[in-house]
Amino acid sequence: MLFPWPDFLRVTLQCSAQALLIVITVNGLVGAILAFVGAVQLNKFGAGIYVADLVGIAVVREMAAVMTAIVMAGRTGASFAAELATMQSNEEVDALKVMGMQIGSWLVLPRLLALTLVQPLLYVFGCAAGLAGGLAVATGMMNLSRTAYLDRSALVLIPSHFVLGSIKSVCFGLLIGLTGCWQGLQAARTAAGVGEATTRAVVTSIVWVIVLDAVFALCANALGV
Amino acid sequence: METPSPLPLPSACHDLANLDPAIADHAPGGATALAPAVLEVRNLALRFGSHLVQEQVSFQVAARSIFAVIGMSGCGKSTLLRSLIGLLCPSAGQVLFAGVDYWAGTPAQRNQLRKGCGMLFQSAALWSSMTIAENINLPLRQLTALNPQQRQARIAEVLHWVGMDSCADVAPADLSGGMKKRAALARALAAAPPLLLLDEPSAGLDPINARRLDALILDIRDRTGAAVILVSHELPSLLAIANDGIFFDAESKRPIAHGSPRDMLAQSDNPTVHAFMRREILAASADHPAQVAATP
Ligand SMILES: Nc1ncnc2c1ncn2[C@@H]1O[C@H](COP(=O)(O)OP(=O)(O)O)[C@@H](O)[C@H]1O
Ligand SMILES: [Mg+2]
Repeated sequence: MLFPWPDFLRVTLQCSAQALLIVITVNGLVGAILAFVGAVQLNKFGAGIYVADLVGIAVVREMAAVMTAIVMAGRTGASFAAELATMQSNEEVDALKVMGMQIGSWLVLPRLLALTLVQPLLYVFGCAAGLAGGLAVATGMMNLSRTAYLDRSALVLIPSHFVLGSIKSVCFGLLIGLTGCWQGLQAARTAAGVGEATTRAVVTSIVWVIVLDAVFALCANALGV
Repeated sequence: METPSPLPLPSACHDLANLDPAIADHAPGGATALAPAVLEVRNLALRFGSHLVQEQVSFQVAARSIFAVIGMSGCGKSTLLRSLIGLLCPSAGQVLFAGVDYWAGTPAQRNQLRKGCGMLFQSAALWSSMTIAENINLPLRQLTALNPQQRQARIAEVLHWVGMDSCADVAPADLSGGMKKRAALARALAAAPPLLLLDEPSAGLDPINARRLDALILDIRDRTGAAVILVSHELPSLLAIANDGIFFDAESKRPIAHGSPRDMLAQSDNPTVHAFMRREILAASADHPAQVAATP
């Protein structure tokens, strides 16, 4: 079976290094916003140190995976859909089929593989950025030392949070990749069809990421994770 | 960037069948007089939903023949080619490759039959993320047992045939329409398929290279023994090279003439066929006065 290594490398680069800056920015800001909201409320009760709990758990369990997925749905999922829809309308997909090439292994697999491999790595960067954003705002706004904040974070951030977040990010990567490719290959063979496929890929992915996240929350709760 | 180098004349072509056993395997070679029709179409009907494109389409493509599909724009020529290579399921009728019913087979059997077809799409359909050489390399990797050196040699050879030696490392987006067509032709014939389907190959070519392309098609047919199904509006080239054909009528949505384009021009009493042929002849006479004078 032939595998398109150049395509795979191009897509991997496109959804890793080239996406890193925006993933870090978005997650850093989300961490900062969480810390800001938490600090204002918790300080009223003299419980400012618990901002570390709030930011740490929210970022690692939920926000880093979800925000990264939303960024990647808008970036990479959309580009998968647009690329495949354009190939479809140019008859490039037909030209592959005539030769007996498997569309699944030649067009879909490299994209799916790249995104699913890269998504957990981006999640790790997203976590780091979110925690750093929280740290900056919490220590800047409140009379809280960096050491105290970090100690508190280390205490609450048990490995199961990271495991849950990583599993989610792999699932989100698969979901976004499949949706993007599917919508691209289903597109009408017109310029408008390419636009519609892109829109549908982004909207469907984001909705399903949030639905899947809710399912994960319910399951994790039931399992006591 | 259009046509920096003219198409080489047929004498410049190398012997396709001698290149490698893996390729020669494909090609039926010389003595095929008793072979069954490479392709037979029986009572085919083509539709998009409720929209009828053509019906009652029946014809045979003999080995080594050049079969013309003629008709006005939008009459269903490209749709016919798509149904022959399995991209569009006909709503009725049969497509038989050397006697084997395509649509009655399993997906694996269909895949096998499809590999025997080299298709030049109307839109060229070059893979835009690859260079021209990579575009030609992929079917060679997929369909032949050639090693990398042999594939490189074959790529250079087919590019030379279509007069695009210098374009191996160019991206399809950087080529003009006519050059894309020629590159796509090189890709279609690279693996030496027994059946070549060419959807308006000379559209976008200047008259001189269009004539050379005719010679090239004949030469490829002679060397590989491939049958060629040719969709074309270029009446001079149809008259010069096609020895059989079918004429689709857009009004009645069925074929109204069969046989070689020469016979259609000389003998068809159908007014549409006659008007089409005469009009094309008149339009073409400016480009090809000698050719027109030579036609009956
Ligand atoms: N994907 C499609 N969906 C619906 N109708 C189509 C499609 N492709 C082609 N058609 C229609 O089928 C008819 C034949 O088209 P085509 O085979 O491209 O004509 P041509 O003879 O010019 O190659 C046209 O009327 C066209 O509108
Ligand atoms: Mg057409």
